[in-house]
Amino acid sequence: MKTVNAAAFALIFFLGTQSFAAADETPAAAVVESLHATLLKIMQDADTLGYSGRVDTIAPVLNRSFDFETISRIVTGRAWNELDATRRSEFTALFARLSAATYASNFSSFSGERFETLSSEAKRDNMLVKTVLVKADGDKVTLDYLLRKSDGLWRIVNVIAEGVSDLSLKRADYTAVIKNEGFNSLITQLNGKVTSYGESGR
Amino acid sequence: MQHEGTMAHIAALVLLLSLITGCASNPGGDPGDPYESANRKIYNFNDAIDRNVLQPVARGYVDVTPKPVRTGFTNFFANAGYLNVIANDLLQGKGMQFLSDSGRFVVNSTFGLGGLFDPAREMGLVAHDEDLGQTFGVWGAGEGAYLNLPLGGPSSVRDAPGLVAAIFTNPLTYLNPVVNIPLNVVNAVNTRANLLEATNIRDQAALDPYTFVREAYRQQREFKIYDGNPPGDGFDEYLDGEGDSAILKVY
Repeated sequence: MKTVNAAAFALIFFLGTQSFAAADETPAAAVVESLHATLLKIMQDADTLGYSGRVDTIAPVLNRSFDFETISRIVTGRAWNELDATRRSEFTALFARLSAATYASNFSSFSGERFETLSSEAKRDNMLVKTVLVKADGDKVTLDYLLRKSDGLWRIVNVIAEGVSDLSLKRADYTAVIKNEGFNSLITQLNGKVTSYGESGR
Repeated sequence: MQHEGTMAHIAALVLLLSLITGCASNPGGDPGDPYESANRKIYNFNDAIDRNVLQPVARGYVDVTPKPVRTGFTNFFANAGYLNVIANDLLQGKGMQFLSDSGRFVVNSTFGLGGLFDPAREMGLVAHDEDLGQTFGVWGAGEGAYLNLPLGGPSSVRDAPGLVAAIFTNPLTYLNPVVNIPLNVVNAVNTRANLLEATNIRDQAALDPYTFVREAYRQQREFKIYDGNPPGDGFDEYLDGEGDSAILKVY
């Protein structure tokens, strides 16, 4: 009787952990968790890495986890259609540098924060991975990631922090600059942002 | 009566904005922001006051005031404004949340020493964020025109009446002005201090801060109206569509 109970318990436990694992470790969630692991690393080693070390650590992870081309197309709105292939890839590279600079500047110290993955669910062809950043005092910041499959890999196309979509924010901001000052001014200003993150991030 | 006053307030504001802009159209601009030209002027006015007065005061306050004291003030003013949350729980038909929030208010007003502490949170009575603008949203109202209120920041035709309702439902409003006015000053400085992190992000990231704030405000309101779970729709539209009209909804 005891053995049966133990076996049943083991089976339930095994099935239980299996289904948890299936919920938490979808390929899309794994992409987000790998990004989070790197963020924790640059936070914990912030001082020894320095700003440029943090950029060098996070940049390759961002380049494989984010679909910067799709993001670039969306944030530039109509202007994207008028760019040739060279200018498109220039903009995409600039946007990737800006992202690395932003992360390196904002994730520059560690005080007991941790990330938790809550769920991942399909949204039509995309995956929405819901996570929270838990601070040492228990305060939570919700971070949702939208991922889209391209070339067989799940890549992040949007980050939604406390309900504010980064993609929408940037698209509104950038298209306003394009409309009022032109595309070249957008490039100049984004380069300026990369530089200023570097100066304030040291 | 209160409702009429609110509507009159809004009507007067909209009229004022129309007069400033000369007309209510905004060719080529954001359709949800017909008063953009006036809004931008008010934004610049608010921003000048913020940078020259409020922000320096808030930074000084953070420097000289220990974190637990600031948390105490934040708790106190949140608790004083909590009847507004409870009333809107009811208006939105959220029965369980109404009970939990009522319990929270009672616990924090008594054991929490007038709201300075937050023992209710330890008891599982977590804080909710509701207001009249969200209630109108739950009832199906759209945002209406985006507004930047003088000395008040981002709002909208749907959300502005809620600011007035929040004043009337706050017990501190009915205190003697000798007490009420200094409390309002502390609240303003403490609230601004709590927003320093958010405005730092704005200053770092935004190219056009006016547009940045408008977009962030809209999205966060939408998020709050749906209590953190906006409906799933409209994403493929902008992944595939390349026009400016594509709606950038996330969920």
